[in-house]
Amino acid sequence: MTRLFVAELLKLRTVRATWGFVLVAALVAALATAGNIGGQSANDRLDSEYQFRIVLDASFAAVILSLLLGMVLVTSEFRHGTIARTLLATPRRGRLLGVKLVAGAATGLGLMLVTFVVTAAIAVVWLGFLDVPLEPSDIVDAASRAFVGAVLAGVLGAAVGGTVHSQVGALVGSLVWIFVVEPLCWVLLGLLDLNGVAEYLPASSVGGLVDSSGDGLSFAGSVAMSLAWVTLATALAFLRLKRRDIT
Amino acid sequence: MIEVEGLTKRYGATLAVDDLSFSVAPGTVTGFLGPNGAGKSTTMRAILGLVRPTAGTTAVLGQQYRELDRPLRRVGALLETFDAHPGRSGRNHLRVLAVAAGVPTSRVQEVLALVDLNEAGRRRVKGYSLGMRQRLGLAAALLGDPEVLVLDEPANGLDPQGIRWLRDFLRSLAGEGRTILISSHVLAEVAQTVDEVVIIHRGKLIRHAAMAEVEALAAGSTTVRSPDADRLATLLTRERLEARIVGEGRLEVAATPERVGEIAAANGIVLHELSVARATLEEVFLELTGEPGERGA
Repeated sequence: MTRLFVAELLKLRTVRATWGFVLVAALVAALATAGNIGGQSANDRLDSEYQFRIVLDASFAAVILSLLLGMVLVTSEFRHGTIARTLLATPRRGRLLGVKLVAGAATGLGLMLVTFVVTAAIAVVWLGFLDVPLEPSDIVDAASRAFVGAVLAGVLGAAVGGTVHSQVGALVGSLVWIFVVEPLCWVLLGLLDLNGVAEYLPASSVGGLVDSSGDGLSFAGSVAMSLAWVTLATALAFLRLKRRDIT
Repeated sequence: MIEVEGLTKRYGATLAVDDLSFSVAPGTVTGFLGPNGAGKSTTMRAILGLVRPTAGTTAVLGQQYRELDRPLRRVGALLETFDAHPGRSGRNHLRVLAVAAGVPTSRVQEVLALVDLNEAGRRRVKGYSLGMRQRLGLAAALLGDPEVLVLDEPANGLDPQGIRWLRDFLRSLAGEGRTILISSHVLAEVAQTVDEVVIIHRGKLIRHAAMAEVEALAAGSTTVRSPDADRLATLLTRERLEARIVGEGRLEVAATPERVGEIAAANGIVLHELSVARATLEEVFLELTGEPGERGA
């Protein structure tokens, strides 16, 4: 299992797309952090949850990128036809899916690590320059949520990729779901006074892990719902992968 | 070593493989032949656990492929063209496989040298020609130094030079005592390499025979040209040999040239030509598969 996991990481490391994801995560984190520090007044910077927000706001894009990279991890095998050779090395499909899920978690961890380092570097230097004292407990709290969010997003991405297989379908479908379908569901459910139900939808559940607004599900509730969606997607991926003929 | 028992594979309404059974003995090189669409690739993918049989079983080294421990170290496979991520170098593709297979990464350089891709190994696969991809595929198949090789149309897309290289390469692999199942839709392509042939058509087994047996089928009649062809035909018929006139002064006789020559000489008949008329291996192959018009299907 370990060697298969290392092979998956080597696959990621040896294509440029992965580094593109890392670069985008770092850039977005830098921009979000700079905006959150430069765009706030001195009073706002002393707000009790200010540093908590800086970390989570910078992490949001990394969570989405983790989801997408998790999908790429699986769908690129189908896109480039390498799935046959991968299955020749790992013929037990359940095991392969398990390795992909763990690799998805690792990509989420990696992307969030880059995001956190960039965010921390900018924030520590800039806030130090502004004489704003650091709040380590807030930062640790936010960072742990962000890491959990990215890991779960990476796993969910790999599971969705294992279900959909078409790279374009998975990536475009997910973005449409996150930015169009689910917001529409929120509106429609709101009209029916069912806002509470919308909080349990997949993007809201995972997004809730790095939501600094305090609305929606609690962190524990978001973790539980995210795990539920991961479990469902994994079950579908297993069935799909097991039945598919590689022709 | 490789066993296929009652294999049937149906894709919707299409019956790709129909109750196919054959086995490949250890240490032999077997050509798996049939026209395009005969079911060769489906069968090979079923052997490798990539396609789920509708019915029947397949086994390699006495086990289902998916039950093999570290399968790449026991079975090497090349499936038509070598599919690869275009942005990854050939060397990195092999490194990934080596890690997954539990093979030392030092082996990567060895197999790259073996297929003459030493220099190109560092280049991205998107810059590879089809021939280079095939070589990379063979390198991947040989990475685990397996005792069994399953090669699906390895000569596809190769130029004549590449085909010659492949033939020599396969001969050297066969010389090492590996068990090889190699598919092709061109009998002559594998004739010099294989010990046995399994011929299928429309998913059904047509013939499983030694290559020598198939070559014997190609041995044909004798062509004779003579200014006295009519008299010679009469004499040959009197000797209970089947002789027919196929053109002006030209006969085709179901007998050896020696026998025809003896009869002609004994009767003072002048001959202008006395030659063996052999069917080509492809003609034999097409005759066995029965549908010469469908070769491109």
